Amino acid sequence: MPQEPARHHRLLPVRPLTFSPFARSVARVATAYLVKHYMHNAVQQSAGDEFKEKLKIIGRRSESSEDEEFDGVVQADFAFFDPKPDDFHGVKTLLQSYLDNKQWDLSGFVDLILGQTTVGTVVKLEDDEDNGVFSIITALNLGRYKDHKCITELKEFLLNICHEKDKIGNLRSLLGVEAQKVGLLVSQCVVNLPPELLPPLYDALFDEISWATEDEPTEELRNSFRFQFYVVVSKFYKHKNANQKRSSSTDKDEAFVYIKPEDEILHKLSMWSFLFPLQTQQVATHEMQPDNGGVAGR
Amino acid sequence: MATRLQFENSCDVGVFSKLTNAYCLAAIGGSENFYSTFESELADVIPVVKTSIAGTRIIGRLCAGNKNGLLVPHNTTDQELQHLRNSLPDQVVVRRIEEKLSALGNCIACNDHVALTHTDLDKETEEIIADVLGVEVFRQTIAGNILVGSYCAFSNRGGLVHPHTSIEDLDELSTLLQVPLVAGTINRGSEVIAAGMTVNDWTAFCGSDTTATELSVIESVFKLREAQPSAIVDEMRKSLIDTCV
Repeated sequence: MPQEPARHHRLLPVRPLTFSPFARSVARVATAYLVKHYMHNAVQQSAGDEFKEKLKIIGRRSESSEDEEFDGVVQADFAFFDPKPDDFHGVKTLLQSYLDNKQWDLSGFVDLILGQTTVGTVVKLEDDEDNGVFSIITALNLGRYKDHKCITELKEFLLNICHEKDKIGNLRSLLGVEAQKVGLLVSQCVVNLPPELLPPLYDALFDEISWATEDEPTEELRNSFRFQFYVVVSKFYKHKNANQKRSSSTDKDEAFVYIKPEDEILHKLSMWSFLFPLQTQQVATHEMQPDNGGVAGR
Repeated sequence: MATRLQFENSCDVGVFSKLTNAYCLAAIGGSENFYSTFESELADVIPVVKTSIAGTRIIGRLCAGNKNGLLVPHNTTDQELQHLRNSLPDQVVVRRIEEKLSALGNCIACNDHVALTHTDLDKETEEIIADVLGVEVFRQTIAGNILVGSYCAFSNRGGLVHPHTSIEDLDELSTLLQVPLVAGTINRGSEVIAAGMTVNDWTAFCGSDTTATELSVIESVFKLREAQPSAIVDEMRKSLIDTCV
């Protein structure tokens, strides 16, 4: 029998194997129960330090047998941390399908993300021995890192995959001439992460970017965070329109199914975007969209 | 010599391949690079066979074998079984076994003489292992983990085990297996040794995240270079300088 995790308040029964005890609990709760959440105000200790979110998930008591069944209460203390080299494996797993199935320097890319400690957040459990990474968010300046193999491969991938003639020019300039002003927004989280964490996570990112424009040691670094454009590469699903009938509400967004909730908002707000098909799965599409930067313009 | 490679951006080469002294199995992957790396290293010596098991690509974790035989799980299809029988040398006995723990690669670690198995394996399966693979079978754990096939990799010349294995356990296992053992990591600190690498008596394949230090430990414990004590030290020194650059 696997060891019961000591940090929980009650003894939990044997669980199916997932990568951490907490993930198992969340997977069970997320499917069946009501979520009532309490958000405590984020207490920031100093720029770039961790700050906490307490999230309580309360559920109905399960109807079936008592001691074998989970009763629906999960205490989860998520904490936001600066990226550290130890997080390599967790972040790499999250970004495994970032560029579809292209073989590229993913390890180098993860190293870049973890090397940038001033901007970027990793979501983990507080006091978790497993060191499991639940989410990663960061923004990388394409000009600053343009000499890294992973960035050149990424640019090459995007330029090759873009088949929309009117967008390719914009794309080329963003990745080339304008690269100094462009931030690559990388955001990925585990599927069952409570969506309530996302607004503080994005707020944290943009706060860190604006602090970086003041706090970085050199002028060059400070300028590198004055993003005017953000580029987002993301995956979502598009309905295959079998019937070509024109509906009165030609709302394109209904045809898309977003895996990450923030994608829908970012897609709506974006200046432009293009789609391309994924090789790994039939129905999914990738999208790329730059956005007129929220924080940068000072 | 140890080679670094990737399977479609994953460094878990031990999941998608199975290497023994008589044959090598490789998963059917998106790009040909994986298969051709094996081919270029092994083609003249042993057959490299592309296959799936139970329709999946995780063949390294589903099957267990050595130069005498190959054991595949109950959900292997008839076509796959036939393909394996056709492609592998005649002296290799391919047997499909009815065992509820179907990830045989995770439950069984073996070389040509000894096998370590999961503690809950059926008695019948143990007998088949001893019979088909021609090995002595020991039920063991490694650093408290029952999935012995995942947390160690050993050949006839040496072995690498989970980094948290205690000295006493290392000594005990080393006596059982009659090979020198080292506790270490693969793929930049990963503890799941057998997922990250695959090895036989003269060559090893590791994930591309494996650091130079890890690689030199592997090359020395599995005796993949011509091992003179001074040569090992010189080689290690070169590898260590390698990391500084």
